[in-house]
Amino acid sequence: MLEAKELMVFYENMLALNNVSITAETGSVIGIFGSNSAGKSTLMYTLSGIMLDIKKKEAMRGGERITLFGSLTFEGRDISNLPPHARAKAGIVLCPERRRIFPESSVLENLKIGSYLTSVRERKNNLEYVLCVFPRLHEFLSRQGGFLSGGEQQMLAIGRALMANPKVLLLDEPLLGLSPVYQKIVIKAIKEIRKTRGIAIIISEQYSRPVIPIIDRGYIIENGSSVLEGTKEELMDNPDVKSAYFGIE
Amino acid sequence: MDILVYGTINSVTLSLLSLGFTLVYSISRLPNFAHGALYITTGYFIYLFLNGLGLSYPLSIIFGIALTSLIGAMMYRLILIRIRGMEISEIIATYAIGLAMIEGLRWGGLRGTTFTLPSFASGSRDILGVSVDDQRLLVVVVGFAVFALLYFFVRLTRNGLALRGIAQDERAAMMLGIDSDRMAVVSFAMGSSLAGLSAALILPLGNIVVEAGYNVLVFSIAVSVIGGLGSWSGAIIASFIIGFAQILTEKFLSSHFQMVIALLAIIITLLIKPSGILGRQKELEERV
Repeated sequence: MLEAKELMVFYENMLALNNVSITAETGSVIGIFGSNSAGKSTLMYTLSGIMLDIKKKEAMRGGERITLFGSLTFEGRDISNLPPHARAKAGIVLCPERRRIFPESSVLENLKIGSYLTSVRERKNNLEYVLCVFPRLHEFLSRQGGFLSGGEQQMLAIGRALMANPKVLLLDEPLLGLSPVYQKIVIKAIKEIRKTRGIAIIISEQYSRPVIPIIDRGYIIENGSSVLEGTKEELMDNPDVKSAYFGIE
Repeated sequence: MDILVYGTINSVTLSLLSLGFTLVYSISRLPNFAHGALYITTGYFIYLFLNGLGLSYPLSIIFGIALTSLIGAMMYRLILIRIRGMEISEIIATYAIGLAMIEGLRWGGLRGTTFTLPSFASGSRDILGVSVDDQRLLVVVVGFAVFALLYFFVRLTRNGLALRGIAQDERAAMMLGIDSDRMAVVSFAMGSSLAGLSAALILPLGNIVVEAGYNVLVFSIAVSVIGGLGSWSGAIIASFIIGFAQILTEKFLSSHFQMVIALLAIIITLLIKPSGILGRQKELEERV
């Protein structure tokens, strides 16, 4: 459904993403693994279109020259020139790294801002759904987003993305800085979303151990290139991967 | 007692004058230095519609405000969209547009004291023992009504919430399908119509003179800097501080100090707390 072919991204002369191809089908969970600065966020930004906005702003300011190559199709339509808000409308919604909650709005308002594109009835259904996936959000619906803890913010960020009715949900480092308790909550929620919504979910993580059991396919990215891809079992059985990424000797 | 009454009136007037400037800045991070020009242009439009085309007064006001908000929206759509993100260019461009409008009006014949708008209400009444004319009361009433409307607009409506989202984190809002440029056009249209509305309310108290355009701009900047750039509640608090300070100096010194007070307040704020009363410096992470 979402198909990226031979994506390349240059920051000036630095190659941030080198010839990466990814496909995500409806109902599947895709994992993107790699260390810091491997190109995971660049990939997420390219898929969601945020990279086009960064490129535009850098060009306007006379800053870094960003060059993008490769093709991106979604449901058979070429989306490589679609700005981020139009991609969100088409159904590709990014839940960004470090969550980016609206700090001065309440939790409920954050969720409502997420439902900008949907009708009032859909908003109501989605709100019920989000509170079903993250029952703990009930407790602080009226609290300001900026006063939540990291784990609570992560639940809110995923919930907010769900309010936009995504067909492809991009989760950029959803476990970053979370306690094991919240990691479990988030992982459980992703499984639940996959089961109940049947949407495609793409997760990028450097801490892959808790994520690997819930994915269908995974890609390992190093220095901007995809060095390995395969199903969950293939990745888990690969000896290099075992020692380097999952800490299993 | 008259200090309290006139101080309140003056403060609400100030916050109404600067509300459009604050709104545009808080949503789009664009300093609209053409704010004063839009204010005075609306006054002239209303005058033209009323006396030139012979339209009725309410109709002239509606058309005048609509035309101004259209100018504001076009300003963003045609010019500012190309330079967004470059602060200095934004200031130069908006200020140049403002100058062109104000001086264009002066050149076009808006000189002297012959241009006036009739007031809506001519009577006067006693408030806490102080006689206040009805037009000034109307300014206060409409001022509070506008604050209340805006408060509910940004909390309850879809577009209002989207505007708040853009104001807080543009990129996060984009990821949720909110079009930043469209929202900037909306904020410019709203900011301009607020400038127009305050002109329609306040100009009948005096003459339509082009210098008012500059004064309104300076007051708006003063209010925004003191309250903290982009902070609505800060702007209202700052309006009350400057408003009362002006009335006090007028009573005990002389009325020439109005502008001095506003500028002095900017300097003091920049010396003591550059971010303003309720303004926040950006998080360290965002700054670097």
